[in-house]
Amino acid sequence: MSASAVQPLERNGGGRKSNWVRALTSGAAIVTLLYVVLYALYALWEPRALSSYTFTNLINNAAPLAIAAAGETLVVLSRGFDLSVAGVVSLTNVFMAVWPMEGPGGALISLLGCCAIGAVVGTVNGWLVAVLRLQTIAATLGTMIVCQGLALVILDAPGGMVADWVSYELTGTLFGVVPIAGLIIAAVALLWLVFLRTNTGIGIYAVGADEQAAMLSGVSVTRVRFAAFVGAGMLYGVAGFMLSAQTATGNPNAGAPFLMLVFAAVALGGTSLSGGRGGLIGSIVGAGCLMLLQKVLFSGGVSSFYTGIFQGFVLILAILFGRFMPRLFNAGAKK
Amino acid sequence: MSVSEPKGAAFQASADLRRGGGISRETTNAIIVFGLSILLILGSRFVSPALGSWSQVLTVLMLASFLIVLSFGQGLVILVGGLDLSIPAVITLGGVLATGWAGGGGDWYVLPAILAICGLVGAFNGFGVTVLKIPPFIMTMATSIILASAALGYTSGTPRGASPAAMTALMKTTWVGIPVVVYFVLLFVLAGWLLQSRTVFGRKLYAIGANDQAARVAGVAIGPVTTQAYVVSAICAGFVGMMLVGYANGATLRMGDNYLLPSIAAVVIGGSSILGGRGSFIGTVGGAVLLTTLGTVIAAIGLEQGWRTVIEGGIIVAALFFMREEFFARLRRPKRS
Amino acid sequence: MMNWKRIRRATMLCTTAAVALAGLVGSAHAEDKKFKIYLSLSYSGNAWQSEAANIVKALAATPPYDKQVELIEVISGTDPQAQISAYESMIEAGADGIVTFPISSTALNRVIKRGCEQGVKFFTYDATVTEPCAYNVSYITAGFGENSAQALVNELGGKGKIFLSRGVPGNSVDKRHTDGAMHIFKQYPGIEIAAEYYSYWDDRTTQQETAKALAAHPDVDGIWAQAGEYGAIQALQDAGTKLVPMTGENSNGFRLALANPDMQAKGLKGVSAGSPPAQSGYAFKLLMEILTGKRELEATNIEYPLPWVPAASVKLCEGETFENGCNAFPDGKVPSSFVTEVFNPELLPELSLLSALEGKPTPGATIQPLPAEIVKAPNEPGINCQNCEPPADLYKLTKIQPTVSP
Repeated sequence: MSASAVQPLERNGGGRKSNWVRALTSGAAIVTLLYVVLYALYALWEPRALSSYTFTNLINNAAPLAIAAAGETLVVLSRGFDLSVAGVVSLTNVFMAVWPMEGPGGALISLLGCCAIGAVVGTVNGWLVAVLRLQTIAATLGTMIVCQGLALVILDAPGGMVADWVSYELTGTLFGVVPIAGLIIAAVALLWLVFLRTNTGIGIYAVGADEQAAMLSGVSVTRVRFAAFVGAGMLYGVAGFMLSAQTATGNPNAGAPFLMLVFAAVALGGTSLSGGRGGLIGSIVGAGCLMLLQKVLFSGGVSSFYTGIFQGFVLILAILFGRFMPRLFNAGAKK
Repeated sequence: MSVSEPKGAAFQASADLRRGGGISRETTNAIIVFGLSILLILGSRFVSPALGSWSQVLTVLMLASFLIVLSFGQGLVILVGGLDLSIPAVITLGGVLATGWAGGGGDWYVLPAILAICGLVGAFNGFGVTVLKIPPFIMTMATSIILASAALGYTSGTPRGASPAAMTALMKTTWVGIPVVVYFVLLFVLAGWLLQSRTVFGRKLYAIGANDQAARVAGVAIGPVTTQAYVVSAICAGFVGMMLVGYANGATLRMGDNYLLPSIAAVVIGGSSILGGRGSFIGTVGGAVLLTTLGTVIAAIGLEQGWRTVIEGGIIVAALFFMREEFFARLRRPKRS
Repeated sequence: MMNWKRIRRATMLCTTAAVALAGLVGSAHAEDKKFKIYLSLSYSGNAWQSEAANIVKALAATPPYDKQVELIEVISGTDPQAQISAYESMIEAGADGIVTFPISSTALNRVIKRGCEQGVKFFTYDATVTEPCAYNVSYITAGFGENSAQALVNELGGKGKIFLSRGVPGNSVDKRHTDGAMHIFKQYPGIEIAAEYYSYWDDRTTQQETAKALAAHPDVDGIWAQAGEYGAIQALQDAGTKLVPMTGENSNGFRLALANPDMQAKGLKGVSAGSPPAQSGYAFKLLMEILTGKRELEATNIEYPLPWVPAASVKLCEGETFENGCNAFPDGKVPSSFVTEVFNPELLPELSLLSALEGKPTPGATIQPLPAEIVKAPNEPGINCQNCEPPADLYKLTKIQPTVSP
């Protein structure tokens, strides 16, 4: 029930291009600004922060969360919550560690396998939510628990080895400066920009903003919801793939920490948790901010006992800024 | 969650009322969840002959008591279209303060004071959601992170002290062969049902959740009423922290961690809409009892943990499936024709 | 007007936030010549974790270490990624050594290896990592699972229905303990495992899970438990039935219960063994001896002795430390969840109850040298080494002999 009063402008324009492009850019722009400010603080306290080694580490650390948050964004935009992210990440991580495949070819097959696992879970979610019309948070809670169970069945304790090629090449750099993980994130963002031009891409915003109106204007709500869940599932699969590259091993509980963090990343990135507004690129940078914040607090010497207090307030402040800036622009545009 | 519920659901609910001929959808929901729980308890005889007994029912009620109290608060917040993720941290707060300030033979009036502090946390949530207009999901998550960190700093990692005498008495004594806490929960359910379904406050919550614009026009003070829902939720969570302290005689900083998802699941399985405006506390109680029963039965199945988890998730999805609108519609249609 | 006001408000908010952040964080980088040592916990909040951390803090403040060490505590939570990130920050900040409770035995290997290459010494306590360049200091290989299982079998005369109260699903420590225990239980066809549940090494969860299992099997004959064991006793008491023989870890409540004549009369028997928080102190002292040049030691796995206290050996302490062979504290002095094994008269004579509870040095104590000998731990794949062969007698009994034949 918050903020309904200020939203008609964006909500009515859910299908119109100029509006959603602006919403997208403003959300992503604000969170990027936050990222830059945090990085400046980090560099101030830790001179090594500017080295390519540190930057690569940072990107490697953030990549799994960023891609998972990107997936979650699809579902959130269509007004839903997808808890199965924790299950899919665990399941694909275990898959990577129990059946490692060497070489670039093996890595490609592994990646396809991860996407397939995510797509299957996404299909089940999509069926439960879009066809059977179950509530998203409850249905995906169920699939999350099932996936966690399956991960435990496959691997009952941390172990296994992820293929060397995956764990070394994907965490390395291109020409010594460009982190490979960064390229993969960029690829996800690029795919998103292409997807935005499709009918389904536009439909996601329309469904999230007002389902009834979207249906009346000829959008197939079922198909859009379904696509959002399947796409999200595949991105969780990629996130699990990248997590495996980073940890080089399997852990049946690997996905659990993602559950809350992805939503924080999505919200930080300027996407409305009630759907219809925001974008995937903001979520990616939002995830980067969350990981960077840990570094900033560490290099600033904040006692671990109190880092949570900072994290909580930064989260609130960031959301407030995100709310505040567009209003500033809107007010300016109107007068 | 922070946008008004599309009108469709409200229409559907009233349409259901008409079609159901007096029995509301919420009542049938509650009957289904309780029915499933009873079936599970009876059916569990096949798993182990000792199950399906009166003592199992008591165990379930006792263990479900935590979840029932929690999900009452969570249910009110969900009713107004919010979500309370700060529950685990507030449980810990209640537990840590109860052992720290009122442990052992401490003064009884400290306990209400602790609940008041928990209520302040709820007010903080409400303030963030209604005044600062922060999405409930993020506001309560931030509160949770802040509070957990503050509890860590305050205790420097080690909560001290034992359970307050009053909480030990609540959780550990029996009366006529039945644990006192079971009587307490029955009274709590009655009071909670009255508050949610039979008071002006309750009706205002439904109105806000169904359509906050309309509620505002009708003169409901959205901000204060919504904040009150968060306050009640925090007080419930704080009280569960104390109950857990009485139950296990001590606090830890992670004592609330396992209650967040169940508290939401109980509400939703009980037939409430996660978008707000729809649901009943009796249904939520049924959801809490069903989840707890499921836990006891699954614990007795001789499978490895992975498969048990798979079954648990599957049954949750199945329970949701049985409570769909269409499922009811199909059940009713043949009877009519 | 409206616009101007808004912009002003925005700027004010911005500045306040930035100033607040900068001010609160303050200056933390005091440069001096002390060894920079990080204490990296995964999480904090239960008795075991904070006792282990307190022991390290107390030792670091005990002369002469108080002049030699700058100790920084970092808690990163249950997320392996957060601990990876924390390790990276520590390496960047120029750590000399990291004493750590690792959240995963395998996920941290990469960053640990990078740290080793930059000359950082990694000492894990209790939980282990499979990266060969880290020093693992742990009791895990000392056979808690098989020895306690044999003790339970002995108490039960080789037959009966039992519960297994395990730790965290998908955790390597839990798996090692349970594998050891199952190695014994499988030899006795008379032993029936009626229920097996996960208690997350927590009293409260143990109590709830045991209550659920008791609903299905009120006729249980014994309980094999990992940490959280005191919860199992409370569940038995709640159910109002008899107590049964059980084995568990080192909580003060469990030890007192074992020694309590009333509870013994109701049927409680058993052994208290398991994970000692004192491992952290041993790891820290080893690290310091290497850094100060008092010891030459290549990275290896070091076994910490398994505490083993059968009911008959429980002895209450009069004072603040383990003296005269005592091994539990009177009720009221410490909470029931307090993990008793915080002292080691031989390895850690510097410690007192004050150290374990509050992380303060014992007045008047100075650091004593460790015995020169260390006990090397056997290889255990997935626990302390990767792609290695376990010894043939991995589950051999060290603390107890079978008194009943299968």
